[in-house]
Amino acid sequence: MRQFLDRVYGLAEWLAMAALCLIALLVFAQVAGRVTDAGLALFGLPPYGFLVPSLAEIAGFLLVAASFLALAGSLRGGVQIRVTLAIGHLPPAARRAFEVAVLALAAAVAGFFFWYAVRLSADSLRFNEVSYGIVAIPLWIPQAAMAAGIGVFTVALLDDLTAALTGREPSYVTAAPDVTAGEEF
Amino acid sequence: MDLLTISLTLGVILLLLLASGLWVALALMVAGLAAIFLMVPVPPGAVMATTVWGAINSWDLAALPMFVWMGEILFRTRLAEDMFAGLAPWMRRLPGRLLHVNILGCAIFAAVSGSSAATTATIGRMSLPELDRRGYDERMAIGSLAGSGTLGLLIPPSIILIVYGAATEQSIARLFIAGIVPGLMLAALFMGYTAVWALFNASRMPDPDPRVPYLQRLWQTRRLFPILALIAGVIGSIYGGFASPTEAAVVGVVLSLLLSWFTGTLDHSTFVEALRNASRTSCMIVLILAGASVLTVAMGYTGIPRALAEFIAGMDLSPYALLAALTLFFVVLGCFLDGISIVVLTASVILPMVEAAGLDIIWFGIYLVLVVEMSQITPPVGFNLFVIQGLTGQNILKVAGMTLPFFLMMIVAVALIVLFPQLALWLPQTMLAR
Amino acid sequence: QTKWEMPVPYGDTNFHTRNIVQFADDVKAATNGGLEITVHSGGSLFKHPDIKNAVRQGLAQIGEILGSRLSNEDPVYEVDSIPFVATSYDDARKLYAASKETLAAKLQEQGLQLLFSVPWPPQGIYTKKEISSVDDLKGLKMRAYNAATERLAQLAGALPTQVEVPDLPTAFATGRVEAMITSPSTGANSQVWDFLSHYSDAQAWLPRNIVFVNQAAFDALPEDQRNAVIEAAAAAETRGWEASVKETDEKTQVLKDNGIAVSAPSEELKKGLTEIGAQMAAEWAEKAGDEGKAILDAYNN
Ligand code: NA
Ligand code: NA
Repeated sequence: MRQFLDRVYGLAEWLAMAALCLIALLVFAQVAGRVTDAGLALFGLPPYGFLVPSLAEIAGFLLVAASFLALAGSLRGGVQIRVTLAIGHLPPAARRAFEVAVLALAAAVAGFFFWYAVRLSADSLRFNEVSYGIVAIPLWIPQAAMAAGIGVFTVALLDDLTAALTGREPSYVTAAPDVTAGEEF
Repeated sequence: MDLLTISLTLGVILLLLLASGLWVALALMVAGLAAIFLMVPVPPGAVMATTVWGAINSWDLAALPMFVWMGEILFRTRLAEDMFAGLAPWMRRLPGRLLHVNILGCAIFAAVSGSSAATTATIGRMSLPELDRRGYDERMAIGSLAGSGTLGLLIPPSIILIVYGAATEQSIARLFIAGIVPGLMLAALFMGYTAVWALFNASRMPDPDPRVPYLQRLWQTRRLFPILALIAGVIGSIYGGFASPTEAAVVGVVLSLLLSWFTGTLDHSTFVEALRNASRTSCMIVLILAGASVLTVAMGYTGIPRALAEFIAGMDLSPYALLAALTLFFVVLGCFLDGISIVVLTASVILPMVEAAGLDIIWFGIYLVLVVEMSQITPPVGFNLFVIQGLTGQNILKVAGMTLPFFLMMIVAVALIVLFPQLALWLPQTMLAR
Repeated sequence: QTKWEMPVPYGDTNFHTRNIVQFADDVKAATNGGLEITVHSGGSLFKHPDIKNAVRQGLAQIGEILGSRLSNEDPVYEVDSIPFVATSYDDARKLYAASKETLAAKLQEQGLQLLFSVPWPPQGIYTKKEISSVDDLKGLKMRAYNAATERLAQLAGALPTQVEVPDLPTAFATGRVEAMITSPSTGANSQVWDFLSHYSDAQAWLPRNIVFVNQAAFDALPEDQRNAVIEAAAAAETRGWEASVKETDEKTQVLKDNGIAVSAPSEELKKGLTEIGAQMAAEWAEKAGDEGKAILDAYNN
C-alpha cells in the first residue's frame, strides 16, 4: 500500500513536471519561429509565419494540469505554506490534536473540492464545452487533470491523517523543505 | 446579519484557521466557502470549482512557474556568486553595500515580469543565500526583498495595470509609461532607507571587503558578464519583438539552461531537481491564488468591498481626505485580498468617485497600484510573505515585521505621488504628446 | 424579493454595460423592486470564458457574452462574424432576424433562454500604414484569435498571429503584430493612437453580444415578473441597437480627433474583401450544414 501510494504521488508529480516542460517547449517554438522570420528578413526572404495554434489557451490548460498534479508532491515535500507560529508553542499532545483536526479539515475541503471538480469536468463533457481559439479543445480534458490532481491531493491528506492518528509524523513534517536561508520554523 | 458583522466574522474565521496551522490556500477556500454558504443561495462547491478553474487557466499566470524555474536553474549555477563578486568592489563605498542588489535586482527583473510573486521568488532564490553567506543582516536581506518584490507591479509590464486599464478603458501604453518614474522613485526610497540603516547599524554589517586596486576591479567585473547577457537576452526578446512579456519567461528559462550548460552545472540530476522544485513552489503559489480566488468570488457575491467603497463615497470627502480614506480602505482590504482582486471588486464604485473628485484616471491608476501592492506584504494574506516563507522557512509574521520599514517607505511614496502628481503624469505626457 | 446576479465581461463605461445597467434598473422599477439584478461589470464575478457555464449551472441567473466566442461549439454562434456578409446595421438586423430562432434553440439545449442581442459597431482594419487594396495586407502579421480570423488572414495573404488583448500595445510597438480587425469602439477604448496610425472602415461584420437567462431561474419567477423581464429586454435591445449606431459615429470621431487616419475602403479593397467574404460564407455554410444554409437563405431573401 505504502509503495503504491508513493508511486501515485510520484506519477502525478512527473506529469506536472512534464506539463511545465511542454509549456516551455511550445512557447519556445513560437519564439524561435519569430527569430527565424527575423533571420529570413535579413536575407530579404519573405517570413514563414510559424504559428503554434491556440498557444495561450493550451499554456493555460497545461498550467492547470501542472499546478494541480503537483499538489501531493508539494504537500509531502513540506512546500505548501502554513503558519505554525501559534501551534508551535503548544505541548506535544495538544499539538498532535491540532494536527489531526487540521488534517481532517484539509482532507474534507480537498474531498469536497474534488467532487465538484469532477462534476465540472463531467458537465463540460456533457455540454460539449470547448475552447474558443483556433483549435477547439474540449475543456473536460484539462478539467479532468485538475480533478485528478485534487483527488491525489485528497488521498495524500488522508494518508497523512492516518499517520497523525496512529502517532507517526506526517510526511510534510519530516520532509526537510529546501530552504535557502534562515532557520527552520 | 449586517455586512460589518459578516466581514468581522469572516476575518476572525480566517485568522483562526490560519493560526490553527491549516494550509493558507485551504484557509482562504474555507473562508470563501463559508461566506457563500452563509449569504448567497448558490452551491458553494460549484462556485469554487468554476472560479478556481477560471482563475488558474490563465496565459499570464503561465509565466509564474517559468520564472520560478529560471530562478531554480540559476540557483544551481554560480551566477549569483559571480554577480555579487563582480559588484562587490564597486559597492564598497555605498552604505548598505550588497544589500542594494536585492532592490536593484528586483527593479531590473520587474522590467520583465508583470507579477510581484515571480519577481520575489526568482531574485530571492539567488540573492538570499548569497547575502546570508556573506554575513549580511537577515532582517534587512529579507525585508528589502519583500519590499522591492512589489516593484514587479509598478514597473512595466504589470498585470495589475493591465487589469486596471481594462476596467477603466484607459490606455495600457500610457499606464505602463506612467509607472516607470514612480517605480524608480520607490526603488530609490528603498535604497535610501537601506543606506541610512547601514550608516546607523554599522555593527550589524559584515566586515567590508578588502580594497581592490582599480585594474583588478575592472578584471573582476568580467564576472558580471553572464548575468548582463541573461538580462539583455530576456529584455531584448520583448523589445526586439520576439516574445510577449509572458513568453519572455520561457526565454529566461532557455537562456538559463544554456548558461548552466556552458558553466558545466547542468546535468540530469540538477535539471530534474530544479524542475521539481519549480513545480512544487509554483504549485504552492498557484494554490494560494486559487484559494484567494474563492474568497474573491465570495466578496463579489456578498458585495462587501463594494458596500464599504459605497460607504466612503457617501461621506462626500474633499480630494485629499478622499485619498486618505481610500488609502486606509485599500490597506485594510489588502490584508485579506490580493491587489488584482481589490481593483476588480471596487473599480465600479471607486472610479465615479475619483472622476467626481476631478482626479486624473491615469494618475489614479498609479496611485492605486502603489497602494494595493502593499497588500503583497501585509499579513495575514500577502503573496510576497508566502513566497519568502517558502524560500527561508521564516514564518509570515516575522517576515512582515522585517518588511515593515519598507512598507513605511511605500506610504512615503504614496504621499509623494499625491503631493506631486506629475511624478506619474510627466513621462506619459511627454512621450505620447499629440 | 428575488435577487439575480449578472456577470458581464466589459467595464462600466462600455456602451453594452451601460445598456445592461439600464435594463436592470428597468426590471427593478417594473417589478416594484420584486426582482433586483446586480450587474457585476468587467468580469468581476466570473470572467468572460466562464460566464456562460456559470449561468448554465445557476451560479449566476443571467449573463452576457460575445456570442461568437461560442463558435467552436456550434457554427450558428458565429453567423454574425462571417466577414463581409452583413456589413450594415440594416443587414445585421436582417441576419439577426434570420438566425435568432436557431440561436435561441441552441441556447435552449443548454437550459438558457436568449433575452436580447446588441451588435458592436462594424469591424474595421487597424494598421500602421495605409491599406488601399487586399494586396497591401500581404505579408502583414494580422491578429487572429479564432479559426475564422485565422482563415481571413490566410485568405488575405497575411500572416495570422496570436496576440492577447492586453498585450496589443506592446505587440504593435515591437512589431509582433501589424494589423488587427476590431470595432472603432474597442479601438477608441484601448486608445490605439498610442501605438498605431491608420483605420480603414472596412465594415467587415457586426458581432453581437448576447444576453441570456438561466431557464430554471426564469421559470421560477411569477408571471408578471417574467413579463417585466421580457419587456425590459425588448426595450434594451431597441435601445442597444440605437446606442451602437451612435457609438459608431462617436468612437470613429474619437479616433479622428486623436490623429488616426480614418479612411473609407477603396473600391479595390472592397472588391477584394467581398471575394474573401463570399468564400468564407460558402465555407461556413458547408460547416453549418442545413441549419446554416437555411439561415443564409432566409437572410438573402
Ligand atoms: Na513589471
Ligand atoms: Na496582504
